[in-house]
Amino acid sequence: MVNIVNALVSPTPSPSVTPPEGFVPWEQTLRGDSLLLVAIKAVAILVFLLLSVLFAVWFERKVISRMQERIGPNIHGPFGLFQLVGDALKLLLKEDVSVTKRDRVLYIAAPLISVICAFLVFSVIPIGPAVRIPFTEDVTPLQLTDFPVAALFILACAAVGVYGIVLGGWASGSTYPLVGAVRSSAQIISYELAMGLSLVTVFMMSSSMYTQDIVAAQADLWFGVLLLPAFLLYIVAMVGETNRLPFDLPEAEGELVAGYMTEYSSIKFAWYFLAEYINMLNVSAVATTLFLGGWRAPWPLSAVSDGVLNTGYWPVLWFLAKVWLLMFFFVWVRGSLMRLRYDQFMRLGWKLLIPIGLGWVVLWGVARVLYVKDWLPSVKQVTVPAAIVLGLATVVVLFWPSKPGEEKTGRGRVKEIDATAGGFPVPPKPGEKLPPSPRSTRTVDARSQAKEKGDRDKG
Amino acid sequence: MGEQELFWVMSPVIVLASLTLLFARKAVYVLAGMIVVMIGLAVFYVTLEAPFLGMIQVIVYTGAIMMLILFVLMLVGVDQKESLRETIRGQRWIALAAATGLVVLIVTTVYRIELPIRDIGGMNDGGNPQVIANALFGEWVLVMEILGLVLISAAVSAIVLTHLPRSGDRRSQAERAEERVRARLNPVNKPMPGVYARRNALDVPAIDPEGKPVPASISRVLKARKQDKDGSEWRAIGKDEAAE
Amino acid sequence: MTFESPIIEWAPLAPVLIVFAAAVLGIVIETADPKVWIRRRLQVALALVATLAAAATAALQWSVLDGDGTRVVVDRIICDRHSLIWMVMIAVFAALAILLFSSRVGGDDAFAPLAAAAPGSEEEREASEKGLAQTEVFPLALFSVGGMMLFTMVSDTLILFIVLELISLPLYVLVALSRRRRLLSQEAALKYFLMGAFASAVYLFGAALIYGGAFSTSFTIIDTAIVQYHGREALVLVGTVLALVGLLFKLGAVPFHAWTPDAYQGAPTPVTAFMAAATKAAAVAALIRFLYLAVHRFEWEIAPVLWTIAIATMLVGTVAAIVQTDIKRMLAYSSIAHGGFVLVAVTSFEREALSAAVFYMLAYGLATLGAFAVVGQVREVTKDGSLGAEATRLGQWAGLGRRSPWMATAMAVFLLSFAGIPLTAGFIGKYVAFKAAFDSGGWPLVVVAVLAAVVAVFFYVRVIVLMFLTPVPEDLKDAVEVTESTGPSLVVGITALATVLLGVVPSVVLDLASNAAILVP
Repeated sequence: MVNIVNALVSPTPSPSVTPPEGFVPWEQTLRGDSLLLVAIKAVAILVFLLLSVLFAVWFERKVISRMQERIGPNIHGPFGLFQLVGDALKLLLKEDVSVTKRDRVLYIAAPLISVICAFLVFSVIPIGPAVRIPFTEDVTPLQLTDFPVAALFILACAAVGVYGIVLGGWASGSTYPLVGAVRSSAQIISYELAMGLSLVTVFMMSSSMYTQDIVAAQADLWFGVLLLPAFLLYIVAMVGETNRLPFDLPEAEGELVAGYMTEYSSIKFAWYFLAEYINMLNVSAVATTLFLGGWRAPWPLSAVSDGVLNTGYWPVLWFLAKVWLLMFFFVWVRGSLMRLRYDQFMRLGWKLLIPIGLGWVVLWGVARVLYVKDWLPSVKQVTVPAAIVLGLATVVVLFWPSKPGEEKTGRGRVKEIDATAGGFPVPPKPGEKLPPSPRSTRTVDARSQAKEKGDRDKG
Repeated sequence: MGEQELFWVMSPVIVLASLTLLFARKAVYVLAGMIVVMIGLAVFYVTLEAPFLGMIQVIVYTGAIMMLILFVLMLVGVDQKESLRETIRGQRWIALAAATGLVVLIVTTVYRIELPIRDIGGMNDGGNPQVIANALFGEWVLVMEILGLVLISAAVSAIVLTHLPRSGDRRSQAERAEERVRARLNPVNKPMPGVYARRNALDVPAIDPEGKPVPASISRVLKARKQDKDGSEWRAIGKDEAAE
Repeated sequence: MTFESPIIEWAPLAPVLIVFAAAVLGIVIETADPKVWIRRRLQVALALVATLAAAATAALQWSVLDGDGTRVVVDRIICDRHSLIWMVMIAVFAALAILLFSSRVGGDDAFAPLAAAAPGSEEEREASEKGLAQTEVFPLALFSVGGMMLFTMVSDTLILFIVLELISLPLYVLVALSRRRRLLSQEAALKYFLMGAFASAVYLFGAALIYGGAFSTSFTIIDTAIVQYHGREALVLVGTVLALVGLLFKLGAVPFHAWTPDAYQGAPTPVTAFMAAATKAAAVAALIRFLYLAVHRFEWEIAPVLWTIAIATMLVGTVAAIVQTDIKRMLAYSSIAHGGFVLVAVTSFEREALSAAVFYMLAYGLATLGAFAVVGQVREVTKDGSLGAEATRLGQWAGLGRRSPWMATAMAVFLLSFAGIPLTAGFIGKYVAFKAAFDSGGWPLVVVAVLAAVVAVFFYVRVIVLMFLTPVPEDLKDAVEVTESTGPSLVVGITALATVLLGVVPSVVLDLASNAAILVP
């Protein structure tokens, strides 16, 4: 018992970080930040996020169009880029319609809560290592702040952000928003558990909750590889956490119109909209920081001339590339998967993700004790295969076909029916099947087949 | 380091927020006040060099517990106002007197006390979360284990009080759809109002294949308000009529 | 930063660990979800074996204990002779209570077949017909028992709070699980829960103030801090008063007694018996440890508070019991009064009080278990001739001596013991308790206590008169029946015998109790 604890809290012996020449410990440099510098950083993050959201809207429209074999916005400006300016202006200038039964204070406060909490997360995300500010002698990390529990701060912001949704749903004084809000609170709480569990092993490995420490600990091997199951868990949980397809149940259009934001319009709706997209950026940035090596260059590049690409302003590029890769993933998922039913969604969260998360934490804890106690030759020799096996098992479980579809309708014969016998088209009953559509001859396929047949008949 | 200033800024906010507990009429306002109190406390913890506690305060209390309370309130009716009728007469005054007594007792005591300034420098050596981990799994490990038992019994208790096992077999969506078809019920949804009729307003019933109106297509609410139409006047023109 | 291994002496915790292990095993059995009859037998056997084994282990530890006790965790959890004797007592009470838990009358036990089903609903009827059983009650009770046993060893305000919750949580739920009169049962549970939560909060507030004054949660360190830190002891004093509220709530002392009658009446009778006997014993044990180890230097300041509470408790309990028409409520008020009597001993801050409290709670607990066992056997007969709910109206008890002389006699023994009539355990208990108070100069308290005891005799004897000297009313001839199931009969037999034995030859137990009158700081 005690030994296990000892192993878990003692500092990591593995990944050793060799600081590059002229490296100043980042925490001290952060302490040295002048108030002006802090303000500049904060504004920079704000501007970056706002621009990213605008870009994300265009990006999403463009990518999803391509996936649906459309072109997407292409009229205004190069690649339709100015479309997003129009989108933004339209959103802000629309008529502000609100309901009379709303709760005046909370109706306005709710979207604000959402947006503020969304903005806060980026303050602890390290966008780059310590760099020299051009034209000055000051050295500062590309990060607003960092503190001993920065990684927990992210979870805390997410936790408070939910209130924006819940209170907004309630303050609208209407049924659909209320149901949407209740659903959403249940959803986010459930998936936050899975998300928190996926982070535990990251903390175990980095022995720290400073985000910069976590990035530093991934110098040799990304946690996304080393802790693959945790990474997969996080990926699923992050989609659930941001209410994106296939988990966008709080605003399931067919059932709830637009969920908690049904009664919001114009600029107040824009706040929610902003919060949703910033949250996507947030979870992507967190995934990047905790699992994908943060601002560090990916492997072949990191080896270039002794890691020169990990210094200076280069890391910003890697960071942005990773974040937008994840953003692409979000869009890809949206383009590929259908929305889950609410009970399926909850079952996935509670009966699959959370048990897997718990199991993984225990397994990793045991493995780590074995390693620290030196009962294993090397952490990589044992835990990497274990991680891979477990990851595969997770994937298999996730994609295992639920009970093979028994042919309950088939009683040997399938009767063909006349679909329009009574004058009205009727769908087939169980055990019946429709005759081939008369239009089937009109498709290109059918015509070419017919032509071939005709050719053969002739020949 | 700005601790005192922050205290004087935050404490009025917290006190005001906590007053909602006494004076707010709507339950949601009370909860909102509580949330502000919780976050304010978290801020205090962080400034007092206990960042881990501060974050846990937000994640657990604000994020989970208050949210669950809000959740329950929403399910049981968030708009209900409390009945202010007293079942026991005069208990408000008794309670007020007792509370005043307690406040006076505590305030006078605390006022007289002079607490020494304790030097807690070095308490966080090695990192605040690490120090807490050492305490929880070192000196207090037995307590953590007892807490585990408390949580087990709480979880089991909650299940005992709320879990209804499913009676009968669970049927899949496909099976239920098939049953509906066999029973000659609506195989999919009920028809929308106005289907095959000449107008598709909400109060106009759909027309079935025989040209009769389908009452089930209109919302029950409209029927209760007697705002529905019988549909005869909106029937699609049949072949016979068209011929005439 | 290096990790320092805590030093924990696991061996003295063995009885508690046995109970907790059985409880967790019970939960595992529940999750495996075997057939009802298998599950039920497994759980009953497990719970019985665990409680008896715990009692045996604690007794064994008593016999092999070298010196006064062992520090399990220095300054925080201490296992001494005093806690060992309480542990044995609580484990034995628990074993007897488990027998009551498992007893069935007409195929039905005392618990709702499906607690989640709404009272009177279709699901409930279905569950009852299917013969479902909420067998989780056994592990839940074991959690509570384990907590109570641990409670007697704790000398740390923080651990005390957590263990208090461990004891209370399962009890709140058990109270809500009555098979009959379910709305009453649920109401009782809600009241108990709300007030219990409030009392816990007050206790926690007190513990925080104590920490603020003493900079520690350990009883030993608080004790020295009171002397050392001049100027801050007032904080500790206020904290002590608030913390006492939480403990006195569990004891059911006036003015923190309001939950007792409702919870005792609404709870399934076996649970009532369990709460009345075991919880009260644990509360007294913890109260003694807190008062005598942590804050005994405040004797002068606290004694008036405790005196007032003791007097109020005895008077309210006794007077209110006189006007009750329901046997369970009457016993509830009588248990409040008994809490007052034991407080008389505790407030003396004398070494004698330790052994007196042990003996008093033993005598009271045995009689209570027996009395509620009898209550559970007196049943109403429904119109279709089957056995219904318990007949708790006093009028229905008329002529019980004719219906079942055996049960009625046992009940009379318990009531006489409650009343403190010589040749029963209750008499010796009251004698040693009052003597402890008298010797320390608390004679006004003793006078009030004796007066209260005399008044109390009235309503105890009234029930005896009702049972033996009143004929069965004509209209109730077939409406009430006394069942004599094995489990409860066994409990009644054991407790009646013990009550008489303790009254006739108390010296053996008195010696043990006075051996146990030692607290290791």
